[in-house]
Amino acid sequence: MIQTILNALSLGGTYALASLGLGLVFGVMRLVNFAYSELITIAAYTLVMTNQLPIMVSFLFSVVVTSLAAVLMELLIYRRLRGAAPAIMLVASFGLSKLLQQVYELCFGALPRSASIAPWMSGELKFAGVSITNASLITAILTIVLLLAMRYLLNKTSFGIQLKAASADFRTARLLGVRANHLISLAFVMSGVLAAFVGAILVVGNPQVEPMFGMNMTILALVGIVIGGISSLPGSALGGFIVGVILSLLNTWLGNGRVYSYSWLFAAVFIILLVRPGGLLSKGQEMERV
Amino acid sequence: MQILEIEDLNSGYGKVDVLLDITFSMKAGQCFGIVGPNGVGKSTLLQTIAGAIKPKSGSIKLLGNEISGRNPEDIVRSGLALVPEGRQIFGGLTVMENLQLGLTGRADKKTSHQAIEHVAELFPVITTHSKQQAGLLSGGQQQQLAIARALITDPKVLLLDEPSLGLAPNIINNLFSNLKRILEAGTTLLIVEQRANLVTKFADEILILREGLIQDRLNKIDAQDENKLKKAYFGLGANE
Repeated sequence: MIQTILNALSLGGTYALASLGLGLVFGVMRLVNFAYSELITIAAYTLVMTNQLPIMVSFLFSVVVTSLAAVLMELLIYRRLRGAAPAIMLVASFGLSKLLQQVYELCFGALPRSASIAPWMSGELKFAGVSITNASLITAILTIVLLLAMRYLLNKTSFGIQLKAASADFRTARLLGVRANHLISLAFVMSGVLAAFVGAILVVGNPQVEPMFGMNMTILALVGIVIGGISSLPGSALGGFIVGVILSLLNTWLGNGRVYSYSWLFAAVFIILLVRPGGLLSKGQEMERV
Repeated sequence: MQILEIEDLNSGYGKVDVLLDITFSMKAGQCFGIVGPNGVGKSTLLQTIAGAIKPKSGSIKLLGNEISGRNPEDIVRSGLALVPEGRQIFGGLTVMENLQLGLTGRADKKTSHQAIEHVAELFPVITTHSKQQAGLLSGGQQQQLAIARALITDPKVLLLDEPSLGLAPNIINNLFSNLKRILEAGTTLLIVEQRANLVTKFADEILILREGLIQDRLNKIDAQDENKLKKAYFGLGANE
């Protein structure tokens, strides 16, 4: 039971981080960044390709590469399209996602690349008659620490206040002096950092990295930000957490019927959206893009 | 000294022209009112000056420096702030967080603390409700916060878009007496207001906007003459 709860919390936490990464960019640009999936993938590839290095060095390298990729995404593609219609932005992000998948395929091949990332993670801890895998425990602790750090950043720093304001109404935020380019770039960096953490957590559980490695997580994280309230950063994290917890519990409870986990998950999502169409933490405000 | 100079300003949305060849200038410490029917471009004018809308052509100079086409975040740092229509406070943030956002646009960060104290003198709601969620304030309190937030950016020119919108008469009187104090402290005010009589009391000049053009200008004395104001407002000619 404890293992089930811990798994649910750690998977929920991982989805919360992914949703927050997507929500940060959506907040400042009204952009659903499908290419977030490829940020998770590049983080995982970097870890696999540098697995001969000490784990912390490899991870820091992965954070730098992923953040850099996120900034380049913003500078080279999204900044140039900032005034474009939402549909164009959406298609551009989808196109970028597909393009990067092809690039990964060219660079790393279509078959999964694997490596043993921190083999000690698969070990188990026994506590009061309950065995918990190191990976579950570390993931749960890591996500809690990260979510608390994000909470501090969003609520207690000037940057966080600017991000929340920009998410609610970027136009007014700019009229008060919030620098659009600066804030958007920083949001992409943070989104990249979170993608690196998500990639690392995923690759520890499944060290088989292929070009579409981050896709599943990204789609469900998008579901998370919709049910949490697309205009709310805490809502994004909460929505992602709920999706992860539901998915984890369904996978455990359904046993052999786990192939239907997604069906049940989306049924739950529909119910949540029927009750709260704007999402759990949405205030029903209509937002304007940059 | 001219603090704000607008010359042949054209602005609008896409192919739609809303403002046509707007020209006027203001001296430091003056107050101008802009009145006119709905949909004539009053808010567009303020938003264009503040940088929220890029002008199609023309010049906007603040303290002699061209600001036309610059980003709103740069314009606010140059000393021009806008209190937008409908207040647009951040309801999910606290009163103090709303003010902290105003500090973002302040060129001189060292005097931030004094700035908060200064606006708190004008608008006590800042002190009494500092930790309250701004969305829970009353309409009048939200308007006070919106003006305080703009003032904290240390503007030389303050633009106000329909400050009386949705407020009770006693709140409006209080609000305009505060605006008078802000004016007396040396801040230049440009106020868009549907209720013309509110601005005519202390504006140095009233600009009548119709169909995107400044159709008439009334000085302080003429603006307080109700007949002249009505004629100008409805396009019958101020001097008929």
